[in-house]
Amino acid sequence: MTQKRYFDTPQIATSFEAVRQFLPGADIDDFNGLRGDAMSKYMDSGLPGPKVEEWKYTNLNFLANENFDIATALPQETEIKELFEKACVKGLSGPLLVFVNGHYYKPLSPFADQKGIKLSLLSDNIQSFRVGMAVSDGDSSLNNLNRALVTDGYHLEIAPNVEMKQPLQVIHMATSGTDMTAMRYRVQIMAGAGAKAEIIESYIGVDQERYWTHGITDVMLDQGADVTIYQFQTQGRQAVHMTELHSHVADKARFSHISLQLGAEINRTELINSFTGENADIELRGAYLGRNKQSQDIFTRINHDQPNCQSNQLYRGVLDAGGKSAFQGKVIVARDAQKTNADQSNKNLLLSRKAEANAKPELLIYADDVKCSHGTTVGELDPDQLFYLRSRGMDEVTAKGLLVEAFVAEVFDDIADETLRTAFKEKTARWLAHEVTP
Amino acid sequence: MLEIKNLHVTVGGQEILKGLNLTISDGEVHAIMGPNGAGKSTLSYAVCGKDGYEITQGSITYNGKNLMDMDPNERAGEGLFLGFQYPVEIPGVSNMNFLRSALNSQRRYRGEDEIAAVDFLKLIRAKAAELDMDPEMLKRPVNVGFSGGEKKRNEMVQMAVLDPSLAVLDETDSGLDIDALKIVATGINRLRATDKSILMITHYQRLLDYVVPDYVHILAAGQIVKTGGKELALELEEKGYMGLGITESAA
Repeated sequence: MTQKRYFDTPQIATSFEAVRQFLPGADIDDFNGLRGDAMSKYMDSGLPGPKVEEWKYTNLNFLANENFDIATALPQETEIKELFEKACVKGLSGPLLVFVNGHYYKPLSPFADQKGIKLSLLSDNIQSFRVGMAVSDGDSSLNNLNRALVTDGYHLEIAPNVEMKQPLQVIHMATSGTDMTAMRYRVQIMAGAGAKAEIIESYIGVDQERYWTHGITDVMLDQGADVTIYQFQTQGRQAVHMTELHSHVADKARFSHISLQLGAEINRTELINSFTGENADIELRGAYLGRNKQSQDIFTRINHDQPNCQSNQLYRGVLDAGGKSAFQGKVIVARDAQKTNADQSNKNLLLSRKAEANAKPELLIYADDVKCSHGTTVGELDPDQLFYLRSRGMDEVTAKGLLVEAFVAEVFDDIADETLRTAFKEKTARWLAHEVTP
Repeated sequence: MLEIKNLHVTVGGQEILKGLNLTISDGEVHAIMGPNGAGKSTLSYAVCGKDGYEITQGSITYNGKNLMDMDPNERAGEGLFLGFQYPVEIPGVSNMNFLRSALNSQRRYRGEDEIAAVDFLKLIRAKAAELDMDPEMLKRPVNVGFSGGEKKRNEMVQMAVLDPSLAVLDETDSGLDIDALKIVATGINRLRATDKSILMITHYQRLLDYVVPDYVHILAAGQIVKTGGKELALELEEKGYMGLGITESAA
């Protein structure tokens, strides 16, 4: 019976067999074998349907009968530059990695070796990837689909006690000519004991194509490591954007993920986090904005399997006419995870009667000496606040914009780097001002 | 000049103002007093254009322009300022950002250039200093965590920065201790000029010791029932509404 809750997609298996020999690592038997196994696992279940509880807010029915080929478009340099200029956070001097239509793009990706930092690409470091993919605990059908068809990605290893001086900036872009194609990335970040790193991820693409970006990230933090991922999701209007991240956070380590989701027609962002040691911290923050058929589905899980850890989640949603969102946040505190401190806050603002926000907080607590809280709200702008601003001279659009920016600001206010903080706020403001590509 | 003629205002289906007439010429300070429920706040909201205050009859014009056709922000652009009885808290928006946005919106409305960031900073710091506001408060979110007195002081700083030609102050003095009251009075007196008009709505005579009005009106049951000079407020203080023959249930 469970099978029926998933959509069968025989066309994907057929397509896989056709392209398999051209995929990176096709000549390496064990890697090729791993792809094959992953495809079999995927085919055993298929695409999750809306009757799968965790997928009830994102209906993938439209994907079930379509075939998204591997992107082979040869894009114009000018178009790449244009998207790059929009996505790149200026004023940072760290290494840069640009992926165009699923493949590493060297001309815009200067990175010099820094002692203790190993940055390599999937396409030329199959062995690291094979190991990483084997230990990755993501076993969802979509994770297996990604394993089978991944074309590129990167592997970042930071040696113990090494601090990356500047953030690594990664841009994933989709150009014209990518209609009905899929770009599948894989990212592995390994931070040694006491290592410190920041990564900025930007997803951007053109509005006129329906492409599917599908990225899986595994983050491993050793004792005392500190990793922050900043994410800008500004995909094209028809894009399908799916990312799934798994983090493993050891003793005294700290993992943060701060995101702004305002692009794509269908966005499914999953953040699955586990503590593997004590006195560690996980912080997830994000803002998601939607209008005009956009669906933003944020799914988080924090597995408090260890005592004395802290997690903090803060999500803010803004939905305008035709926009839809879901925040599904699950916190599981195991029986032995005493002295857990878990906080979750999700607030949503509806700017129109034709907007929809869903919130599904789930706390499963099996320990007895813990501090856990969660709060969820869905509301509209306060008419008294609006009148106060308007009585001071602001027109309705300006006044609403200021209030919405303030509502979202909490997500980004604590970012220490001013360049980054400003980038988040400016992109939010541009979305609010209805600019085409924020 | 503000001219209100035969104003009837309905709130939630109930008529609150029932044919109010009031004219305020440039340079004049008027005080409106009246018992609870007389329609004092309704008058200020109707003049400033709050939603839900429906004008069923009469007219409000300012310098010859029909205010009733304008949005609240357009009225502000024409020079109106409403001092709130209960200033609203706006979390996440700093006082500074709020005032810059307000001032520039008004300037755009009047076809003027936006104020340069440096000039704005000078202006707001000077006005805050004149009203004894700690400059740190300019960085804090609008009215969030402010005491009653601090909120009213903030209203006065906003008024000083926006420099309106007509200020409507809705019980700006309510709930203030004597020090805060003096700050508010200073703010109002600083605005006084031959080309400015001020309408103070107040419950108590106390404020009028510090801001001496040219006219005092008594509002009861939706109409102005008595008008006089500053001595009317003193008489009211002494005799009470009853003593002047005004009952709250005049309606």
